[in-house]
Amino acid sequence: MSGTLVIFKKELKGFYFNSTFWMICFLVSVVFSWVYPIQLNLFSQLLMNYVMQQGVPQNQLNIHYGVFLRQLSYLNLLLIFVVPALTMKLFAEEKKLRTFDLLLTSPVTSFQIVMGKYLAALGAVGGIVLLALLYPLATSTLATVNWGPLFIAFLGIFLVGGVYAAMNLFASSLTENSIVAYVASVIFNVSIWFVGIGTEVVDGERARKIFEHVSLSSHLSGLVEGTVRTNGLIFFLSIIVLFCFLAERVVESSRWR
Amino acid sequence: MIQVKDLTKDYGPRRAIDKLNFSISKGDVVGFLGPNGAGKSTTMKIITGFMAPSHGNASVAGFDVFENPLEVKKRIGYLPEIPPVYADMYVQDYLRYVAALKQVPKEKIEGSVKNAIEKTNLGDVQKRLIHHLSKGFKQRVGIAQAIVSDPEVLILDEPTVGLDPKQVAEIRELIKSLKGQHTIILSTHILPEVEATCEKVIIINKGRIVAEDSIQNLSTMEQGQIRLHVRLRKSVEDMQNVLSGMGSVIGVHSGASAKEWSIDLKGSEEAVENVSSLLVGKGYGLLELTPAKRDLEDVFLKLTYGQQEKGGPA
Ligand SMILES: Nc1ncnc2c1ncn2[C@@H]1O[C@H](COP(=O)(O)OP(=O)(O)OP(=O)(O)O)[C@@H](O)[C@H]1O
Ligand SMILES: [Mg+2]
Repeated sequence: MSGTLVIFKKELKGFYFNSTFWMICFLVSVVFSWVYPIQLNLFSQLLMNYVMQQGVPQNQLNIHYGVFLRQLSYLNLLLIFVVPALTMKLFAEEKKLRTFDLLLTSPVTSFQIVMGKYLAALGAVGGIVLLALLYPLATSTLATVNWGPLFIAFLGIFLVGGVYAAMNLFASSLTENSIVAYVASVIFNVSIWFVGIGTEVVDGERARKIFEHVSLSSHLSGLVEGTVRTNGLIFFLSIIVLFCFLAERVVESSRWR
Repeated sequence: MIQVKDLTKDYGPRRAIDKLNFSISKGDVVGFLGPNGAGKSTTMKIITGFMAPSHGNASVAGFDVFENPLEVKKRIGYLPEIPPVYADMYVQDYLRYVAALKQVPKEKIEGSVKNAIEKTNLGDVQKRLIHHLSKGFKQRVGIAQAIVSDPEVLILDEPTVGLDPKQVAEIRELIKSLKGQHTIILSTHILPEVEATCEKVIIINKGRIVAEDSIQNLSTMEQGQIRLHVRLRKSVEDMQNVLSGMGSVIGVHSGASAKEWSIDLKGSEEAVENVSSLLVGKGYGLLELTPAKRDLEDVFLKLTYGQQEKGGPA
């Protein structure tokens, strides 16, 4: 296990001492500093309307729905493009610069290499999610916030980030070219949402059930609403395990060229 | 220490190495010699466990490279053709990372890093970003990386490429100083390097071993031959013709100009005497005549290129 730890530490340091990460953080905070107040503003107008006209659906009146969930969907959109930027180099760059030779001739297994890198990527994604969490935290000084659902919702988005990281790590392991890795990663991240669209276009009841079960959005929405369901967690974890396993296979296969 | 049996590697349809067999005992310093594309790097990559052979097997310290890769990798320090350095790391941090990766115990890491930096003369740049180092310094970091874990076996693929002459000499000294405690394989095209550092040479050509012996034996392989370097005052257009009458002459090569020649002779000192008296007699103004032993270079060229080139330098 020590090999995992060594690689994890090195890669995590690599993320946090690198300007790319801070540029991404900057970007994320710019977007939120711009979008979040607008959401907050809209919400307060909505409240005002409610007081005056009473014509607004009940559930929209919750700050949780009115502001935080929207923020999360923006965060999700950002993650689709930002996680690939973080992970694209993890394997591609090592292969290109031949530092991969060092890893493959060190006493670490392919599994440890992948785990070290994946956990480091999670650490970076976690940093971005925490940054986004600052906005609701700041809001809590102005409004009463229901902490439980808020944290579960952010856990949900973190898990989605984890799914992206796993898929994108796999994409990076496939190529020597970081740009190719980035593009492939974005395609992965976008297409996994299209699985969810299947629920709306498919006719049969059973097919819809299946699509619902494998769709990221239906599992995420559960978490986002503040309820933890085991099958949702299992779903996320199994995608993560699947892609980490695939990445491990690719690393292992590089011995067989 | 290292055993290689019937080692074969195919890259697709191309066979890079073909049934190599050799063994290296503990403490030996062995030079892998061969022209470009001979299969030196391929062989090394297999021994380090970097890639799997197509057939055959290799073992290090009794552990099969393929079945027990972790045990093998723990014992090996490897410098690939391109030093595996991370441009965005500081020299010191990088060496610490490699030491940790090679499972040097935590409390010994600082000591090992210091040691490696000292041995490769990296003291001045240890706090610099690898990205900003010159090629030669990157190469040195690569060597430091290979020795940082104090491995039993060192595998160095062209360790002195890109270094300045002083550094080349120092690295050779370093390699010599490591002999005994470490088993070392190094590959090179540079013959003086092998002569300076290795006790044993394995000459590879086109994926096959063409010679495997101690330096001593190889360089005196063809006894009874003498090579003469002569320098004349007057130029001679066709030395071959001049010497055609002498049976003991087996080869003539021109030197830097028409005034310098090397002449290969069969036989003993008498043949030398005959040549010198002939040159003097013809009035070419013999300035210099030095007998040279056939050196490793000739053996090397003969064994590798000599088979294809007609006549060749032999
Ligand atoms: N990844 C690869 N794919 C296909 N062929 C390869 C690959 N690597 C090496 N080869 C081929 O295998 C043969 C041996 O290559 P190798 O790198 O082992 O030679 P070398 O002795 O190290 O040469 P050099 O002195 O130039 O470093 C060459 O013919 C080369 O073209
Ligand atoms: Mg080579």
